[in-house]
This record gives sequence, C-alpha cells and structure tokens, in this order.
Amino acid sequence: MTLTTEHRRWTAFVALVAVCATFALPRAAHTEPTRFLPWTDAPPPSVVLNDLAGRPTPVAEYRGRVVLVSFWATWCEFCREQMLAMKQLRQRLAGRPFEIVAVNFGESPTRVREYVKSLSVDFPVVLDPNQDAVKAWRVRVLPVSFVVDADGRPRYSVLGEFDWASDEAVKTITELLR
Amino acid sequence: MHRRAFLKTSTAVSALAVAATLPRLVAIVRADEKVFDPRPGTWRTFEITTRAEVLQPTGVTRVWLPIPVVNSEYQRTLGDRWSGNAKIMRPMTDGKYGASTLYAEFAEGEAAPVVELTSRFRTQNRAIDWSKKVAATADPAELRMWTQPTDLIPTDGIVKVTADEITQGKTTDVEKVTAIYDWILANTYREPNVRGCGVGDIKTMLETRNFGGKCGDINALFVGLVRAVGIPARDIYGIRVAPSAFGYKALGAGSANVSKAQHCRAEVFLRDYGWVAMDPADVGKVAREETSEWLKLDHPLVQAVRPKLFGGWEGNWLAFNTAHDVALPNATKGGKLGFLMYPQAETAEGRRDSLDPDSFKYTITAREITG
Repeated sequence: MTLTTEHRRWTAFVALVAVCATFALPRAAHTEPTRFLPWTDAPPPSVVLNDLAGRPTPVAEYRGRVVLVSFWATWCEFCREQMLAMKQLRQRLAGRPFEIVAVNFGESPTRVREYVKSLSVDFPVVLDPNQDAVKAWRVRVLPVSFVVDADGRPRYSVLGEFDWASDEAVKTITELLR
Repeated sequence: MHRRAFLKTSTAVSALAVAATLPRLVAIVRADEKVFDPRPGTWRTFEITTRAEVLQPTGVTRVWLPIPVVNSEYQRTLGDRWSGNAKIMRPMTDGKYGASTLYAEFAEGEAAPVVELTSRFRTQNRAIDWSKKVAATADPAELRMWTQPTDLIPTDGIVKVTADEITQGKTTDVEKVTAIYDWILANTYREPNVRGCGVGDIKTMLETRNFGGKCGDINALFVGLVRAVGIPARDIYGIRVAPSAFGYKALGAGSANVSKAQHCRAEVFLRDYGWVAMDPADVGKVAREETSEWLKLDHPLVQAVRPKLFGGWEGNWLAFNTAHDVALPNATKGGKLGFLMYPQAETAEGRRDSLDPDSFKYTITAREITG
C-alpha cells in the first residue's frame, strides 16, 4: 500500500499526539509536566527573513536578549490565543532583554498584515515564503515555539498551543535572563 | 484518519484526563516535501454514473450524455449500460472525431424524463521517459487532422504569429513544444470565476490579451499554438473521478459527486516519443487553488508538478473524447458545441444550461471498483 502525503501527514500527527499522551499520562496524576522540552540538537542554521515592512530581520540571533521564536499561521486556530498570550508575556517582561519573533508559515504579506493588525500584535512578525526557517528549525506542527538564550543557543521547544502569559512561561524565561 | 474524526478521538482521550496536558496543534507538510510523480504500471478501475432528470420539460425532451470512447495505453473502456423512461435510448457517434453520446429522446408529455448512464473503465498514470526515444508511428492522415484548425482553435493569424514568436530559434518539435508550454505558464492564469471549464476561444484570448481561464481555455490555447507550428496536438475532454494520490487537492475530485469535476487535458505528438501527455492548465490550477494563496510558478508546490505535467498526468481522470465543433445528433435547438464534456439537454424551450447541474438537472458520481 502506498501512503499518500496526506496519510503520512496525519499518521505523523496522530503519532505525535500519542507520544505526548504517553508522556503526559503517568505524570498527570502527580503534577503538571513541563511543556518546555530541553533542546538537545545542534543550533539550527542562521536565518534572516523580511518583516512586514520588508526589513531583513534575524529569526533568532539577538545576542544579549532572550528570544521567543514562534511559528504560526493565520489558518491555525490554536495560534490565535497564543498570539494574544505572547502579547501579555511581552508586557510582563517589559524592560527586560527579551524579544518575541513570530514566523509566519508561508502566507502572503497582505493576509498576515491584516491578521496582525486585527490582533494589535506589537512584536516582530516575519514572513517565511520559502519556508527557510521552517526547514532550519524542523517545524512539523503549528504552533511551535523555541526559547533561545542570550547567547543565541536554543534552550527549549514548546509544541502546540501554550499559555505564554502563564507564570511558568515567565519563570522559565526569567531564569534565562539572569 | 479524517481531521474531524481525529478531533473526536482527541476529545475522547481528554476524557481520560489527558486533555490538560495534550497540546493543541496542527500538523503541517512542508512544500518541499510534496511529491507529484505519477508513473504508469498500476491500473485502476472506476465506474461513473450520470443521471439526468430534466426538470419542467416542455414538448419533446432530448438528452445527450457523453460516453467515453478513448482507448489507449492509459485508458481502456469496459462497457456502458443505461436505463430510463425515454422513448429512444441509443449511443450515437460524431462522424469526424468518433465522440459518442447516449442519446435519449422522451415523448412529449413525459412529465419526469430520466436517463441514467453507467460506464466502466480502467486507467493508469502516464509519464514519458525522455531518455528513451522510440520510432513513433502514426497514420499521416490522422496526424494531419490534429494540426487542422477548429471553429475556436484557428491556426492562422494571431495564433500563428504568436506561435512563431514563441518558437523562434527552436528547431526540434520538443524544443518548440517546451517553449509553448513555458509561455502558457508564464502568460496564462487560472481564473476561478470562469464558468465550467471555459470556452476555448483562443483567438479572442490572444487579441484581448485576457489570458485568465480554465482548462478549456488554457489547454486549448496550448493546443492551438502547437498546431500552428505544424505539430499534431489535441485536447482530451473528460472528468476527474478520484482525489489525487499525491495529496494535491487541486488535481483531484473532491468527493464521489463529480458533477462539476470536468477537466480537459492535452496531448502532443512528438516524432521520437509518440503521443505525449501535457496539462499546463493544471499547473496553473495548482498555483491558483492549491492553497489559499496565489502561488508563484517558482513556489515548491508548483515546481513539483510543472515538469511532471509536461509528459505525464495522474490516472484519476476519465477521458471522454477528443472532439471539437460537435453537432449533437437530432438536436433542434442550439448550435454546435466547441467540445463535448458535459451532459446536454433540450426541451421545446431550448437547450438547458449544461454548466448548471442543479437546474438541468444532472448528477455524476464516480467510484473505484476494487477486488
């Protein structure tokens, strides 16, 4: 039997969530497991993308600042709440050396601009028309986010929707700010 | 698993107290991972059923349903059967191209005319091996026919001038066809608002420089330009019967109801390869309709299909015929059809809108025969 791309896609999706459930179940009875998965691979290659004004913007290289790199799309229903939560996170960490970069998954500037405007997003949004960053960061699901420390090293990944305004998020990032 | 079914499954899992820790996310497929690589070798069998019920008939009602007649290395017809309450029901064939229709004539006063046609066929993918030249043979008279103009596909005037400009400096038939294919992709575009599959009036397209259309326009323009430089080419009119096995929603039928899934493709005759499959219109369709964005030709999703549809196509489609300027037998209303791809009907009030299955009305369903 030949698997179609769609089959593979959904098989991977189901497998991913099954893995998540496997890890989640035993711990759920005791305490909420952390959503921050330690980064164990080599750092991805450097990628510079254009922001909505056409300015070249690095995806993750902001030496001296901790960066939250988040991949999203306008059609991703779970990305919306996360965007709003990230706005709150930015407010909670105002004045600290912290930045958020939202990488859009291959959509048109017009669509992204309208969406960002509707949510009053106030952090950098970059476009990835050729999926350069998607490939570099091996993105398989949306949303997915990565926390990069002040030395430019990826430290954590967070799969799926996450409440970035939560105390856990603030605590984890604040520890990297020290 | 269907996305909705999966979400239901997710809900069930959450009932097991996992929901609090299950991330909500959607899987993605990167464009560079998309593969479109149809290869011949696996035959699939399908059955397609067209049911026409002419609403509010007046006078004598006549219906013509396309019967597939194309038999080639990529398609085999396996027979047709029909039923209905018509006074006359019989296949009728167009003299020049051999296109066939099931002709049904209903007596005046028949309040609910109905006719149903079921056709079985086998089909397979096509892919030319450009490394293997063959001594392609064909009847010279037949090949000459495929260089001749039709009512809507002239081969002189602006068509000839344009074709000569496109192929200037090209010497072989492959080079010329390649240049025309590339020109079609660079200059035409899929226009979703065009009714049906378009008209195919290529002279008007060139004169107005309005190159938006669908397969009936874009592949007709491709065929006309190829014919204008003396290379045999033909449109093949048919219908999609199954989703694309390669995950391209633009390149397959979205459901078993294929009433609006008509699609025409093209072939060119190359001296060293014989009849070769071509479908530049579907490249444009991927660019325009595969995603919510209008993709550029250099987008990976488009790049994946562009070379494959020059020399191949996927066997999820039924070819009806290659006819042009079709006069429906026994028709008393309306003129000739530019091509025969849709069910047709007439009553005393005139010809029905063949592009509006709901008011006609007709339904076309397709299913794969397994086992």
